[in-house]
Amino acid sequence: MQINVNGTQHEVDVDEEMPLLWVLRDELNITGPKFGCGIAMCGACTVHINGQPARSCSMPVGQVSGLITTIEGLGTPDAMHEVQAAWVEHQVAQCGYCQPGQIMSAAALLQMNPNPDDEAIDHAMSANLCRCGTYPRIRAAIKAAAQNIREKSA
Amino acid sequence: MKIKLFLLKTAALILMPAFFATAQSVPVQPDEISQSRAAEAWSKVYQVFSHPRCANCHVPDDNLPRWSGPSYGKTSVHGMNISGGQSRIGVETVMCSTCHAHSNSDEPHGPPGSPVWMLAPVEMLWWQQSSKQICEQIKDPTRNGGRTLEEVAHHIQEDELVHWGWDPGKGREPAPYSAKETADFVTLWANAGAPCPE
Amino acid sequence: MSTLGKITRRTFVIGSTAITGGVLFGVYKYKQPYPNPLEKNLAQGETALTPYVLINANGVTIIAPRAEMGQGVKTTLAALVAEELDIDVQNVRIEHGVPSNAYYNAAVLEEGVPFPPQDTSSTAQMARDFMHVPAKFFGVQVTGGSSSTVDAFEKMRMAGATAREALLLAASAKLNVAKNTLSTDNGEVISKDGQRIAYTELASLAASVELPDDVKLKPKSEWKQLGRPIPRVDMVEKCTGTATFGIDVLQKDMLYATIKVNPHLGAKCHAFDTNNAANMKGVKAILPLADVGAAVVATNTWYAFKAAEKIDFDWAKTQYAQSTDELFESAIAAFNEEHQDSQNRDDGDVDAVIGAAGDATIHREYRAPLLAHATMEPMNATAIMKDGQLDVWVGTQMPTYALSEAARVSGIEAQNIRIHTTYLGGGFGRRLEMDFIVYAVMVAKQLEGTPVKVTWSREEDMTHDSYRPFAVARFEGVTQGKNITALDVKVSSPSVMESQMGRLGVSLPGPDSTIVQALWDQAYTIENYRVTGYRVPMGIPVSSWRSVGASQNGFFNESMIDELAIEANADPIEMRLSLITHQPTRNVLEAVANMANWGSDVAENHGLGVALVTSFGVPVAEIVEVVNTPRGIKILNVYVAADVGLAIDSRNIEAQLISAVNFGLAGAMMGEITLLDGKVQQTNFHNYDAIRMHQAPVIHTKILENGERIRGIGEPGTPPAAPALANAIFAATGLRMREMPFNKHIQFV
Repeated sequence: MQINVNGTQHEVDVDEEMPLLWVLRDELNITGPKFGCGIAMCGACTVHINGQPARSCSMPVGQVSGLITTIEGLGTPDAMHEVQAAWVEHQVAQCGYCQPGQIMSAAALLQMNPNPDDEAIDHAMSANLCRCGTYPRIRAAIKAAAQNIREKSA
Repeated sequence: MKIKLFLLKTAALILMPAFFATAQSVPVQPDEISQSRAAEAWSKVYQVFSHPRCANCHVPDDNLPRWSGPSYGKTSVHGMNISGGQSRIGVETVMCSTCHAHSNSDEPHGPPGSPVWMLAPVEMLWWQQSSKQICEQIKDPTRNGGRTLEEVAHHIQEDELVHWGWDPGKGREPAPYSAKETADFVTLWANAGAPCPE
Repeated sequence: MSTLGKITRRTFVIGSTAITGGVLFGVYKYKQPYPNPLEKNLAQGETALTPYVLINANGVTIIAPRAEMGQGVKTTLAALVAEELDIDVQNVRIEHGVPSNAYYNAAVLEEGVPFPPQDTSSTAQMARDFMHVPAKFFGVQVTGGSSSTVDAFEKMRMAGATAREALLLAASAKLNVAKNTLSTDNGEVISKDGQRIAYTELASLAASVELPDDVKLKPKSEWKQLGRPIPRVDMVEKCTGTATFGIDVLQKDMLYATIKVNPHLGAKCHAFDTNNAANMKGVKAILPLADVGAAVVATNTWYAFKAAEKIDFDWAKTQYAQSTDELFESAIAAFNEEHQDSQNRDDGDVDAVIGAAGDATIHREYRAPLLAHATMEPMNATAIMKDGQLDVWVGTQMPTYALSEAARVSGIEAQNIRIHTTYLGGGFGRRLEMDFIVYAVMVAKQLEGTPVKVTWSREEDMTHDSYRPFAVARFEGVTQGKNITALDVKVSSPSVMESQMGRLGVSLPGPDSTIVQALWDQAYTIENYRVTGYRVPMGIPVSSWRSVGASQNGFFNESMIDELAIEANADPIEMRLSLITHQPTRNVLEAVANMANWGSDVAENHGLGVALVTSFGVPVAEIVEVVNTPRGIKILNVYVAADVGLAIDSRNIEAQLISAVNFGLAGAMMGEITLLDGKVQQTNFHNYDAIRMHQAPVIHTKILENGERIRGIGEPGTPPAAPALANAIFAATGLRMREMPFNKHIQFV
């Protein structure tokens, strides 16, 4: 089957039930999306499918249609997305394992809601678990990124 | 005998819509046997509608899906601060489809799935509602999606998300009976004048 | 002033701190440095200046030999070297380096001395310094005990200064000028007349310089990098998905595997049947894992997971406690002389005062459950055994033990093994263990020539942890007026040291101070004060969980102190202050009281609770503010004050405090590992959850620097969180939590 990841078309030959996460990580060597739980309860696997957030650990690859974006496609060290830049500015990460998922969820939130308040952030981000407890800085970085994005488009 | 049965069935098929039509426009005078069978049919429908697999998403305007049923132990709202939002599909918060795929997860405690995943419209409240309350709701076109009871039965029989209630995946107790049986209970009950409990 | 031609010495002498008592172990032997591990694999044109600095034509590499698990140690340790070396830490390459005894942790044993941290007498200080001696002989390279910065502070600055000296000597020879006419700045040596030579150009010349052993360190006032927030060198990669954790390692032609080990932890696997699994899609092999389980090797981790689920196992059972109730029964059963492990404090005459007080004595019992570490990154390791060589890629907190275990299991000599330490997606003590490394080597051995990545499922990870121990504490306290006149503390729990070190084949004699950590060693002076530890016989595996014994004992002690204050009608902070003379500890308590406006009117349904715990030498005071809503308790604010002695990077310290508080709150609110039929019941985040964004409070931090020596900060923020929360809940609701997790008795929103 064919899937499109970060703008590149790939041919993969796997069981249709294989979750997208494992197609990305083990078939395509795209290791940005992380394995944390396998049951959509930690968010470390979050990618975008047609710009919408998805927990790739729970999406059978046979059901995926459209353009897949992983953290690597959102931005690179030399060309970071505003959300990633805000994350670096606020030194959000501790161990960093959950952060690709956090960033993908945050970027999706800001697409839908350019000026999220605390309640909106609570609703959009509480399915992304961080065992290191970086939540205060995640919140601050989302608000900073939101402002940067609004200013850029103004 | 066979011909008689065939004629009876055909007559019933032809006449049934007529029954529905009359049910909407002219109050039916149900006989006593019909009433107890209708009440029995409705109670089965209530068993289905109030079952966790249905009621967990037929929630009030707090827009919070529920986690209830034998597999959950204690009843709670959906974890991780998940809310369907006013859109009932998570547009304002996190889209339901972020975690819920088109089919049930194969993993124990993984997310259930269906081609569509969303909360029922807010007016179709079943969570912690009595049999009488749900009965009145299902008959009310302003609260049942503008449907006739025949259309309600049809909806139960055809809708994919409704069907999920009987095929909820590993570890979750399905709603009782089946989609077809439930649709048939609705039909029978409707034919008898759709009486609601006191 | 050329120093060329002298006999070169590539080794590095440990810092010049005077060690008394070293004579017992042979001063000469102690002063002999470990060989420089960098010497073995120098490439052409590469120079090692101390075990921490590597220079070639392309640049400077600093070795930061501690596990980077989010505590920022890669950046901080490299900055210690970079500061003295006069090069920007953002402009160097930083590597973890190979496992080596030369990178041993001297500071990790410091707080194991029988002196409480407030005791800064010369005897106590000598004892702490003395612990460097056995630490060196053990030669253990370990990241833990909030000790990395403490251990590296002098050692790695000395390395930087020594390397800088060598470069100056080299430049002096090259330019034929006196060394004292030269200076350094940002990676270059600068001559009086403005010539600039990059370190990279001086490297090979510096190789033939005799390393000085009397370098002076910069005074704090001259620090350009230390003492202020340093952007973490791993931040960009962690925000762009380009950082490599153990689970991300890729090797050519690599296969993917998972394991299934007996869920009756410690018991064997009698047999397994692969009939339903062997022919599943993607499966390459199903291999025995010694006598404890099996491994499935496949072309994709998910195929391995699916096949592993279909193997039928015949598991042996364990003989220890089979249920949660039995665990706590075993703790209670250990409250007797036969199981007494330590009595680290026995001041005055507790029995007499309690006897005299009679019914006025306050008796309390508290409990804490087993807890899982639940790092975000499940256990994993990648290995290849080929032609008598072994390579292992893994996130480990103990690389030297990883090396020796890999050697033991593979049968290959250590010199033919390379351990590549990656980033850790969370440690919290879990990655001190060796099981995931051992299993990966066992699999690689059976797949000779093929690299294999062994990833545990979350279910396997959750149910095969070595847990934070369960514990029961019994207190008896007597108050007089607003004073505590007697306090008797008895705590019973299994021994972390016995369990953890036992798995490494080490049998430690003597008591396990972690059983009574944070109970006997606090800053309170109580006239009649006794603390006794009881050791529960070994059963379910237990291990170090962030802040170790303090994680449960902090809850016990600070709840009891609070209950006594309330019984005595005393303000909880005033009562504590009346018991403390150690000024730095008083300062953190007063600071947090200030931050929270303690004493001012509290809004309706709100409650404030305070707790003060010193662990790893760091006094930390926390005040939690909760509000009791109709749907449950909401944690609004946490105020934290901590004294680290000397703050090298305040932003990083603040991040650690926030992290530790959230970690402690999660355990207090909802963490619980239970047993049924001898097996752990919790399998994933649906029944072992942690605090999330919507429940995380606003956390206010204050860093104090009154302490006598530099301290670490990875763990000390955790122990006060649970008791401060319990005390706040009491203040808001009148409900007293005497066991964790609190969600057994109340709801949190």
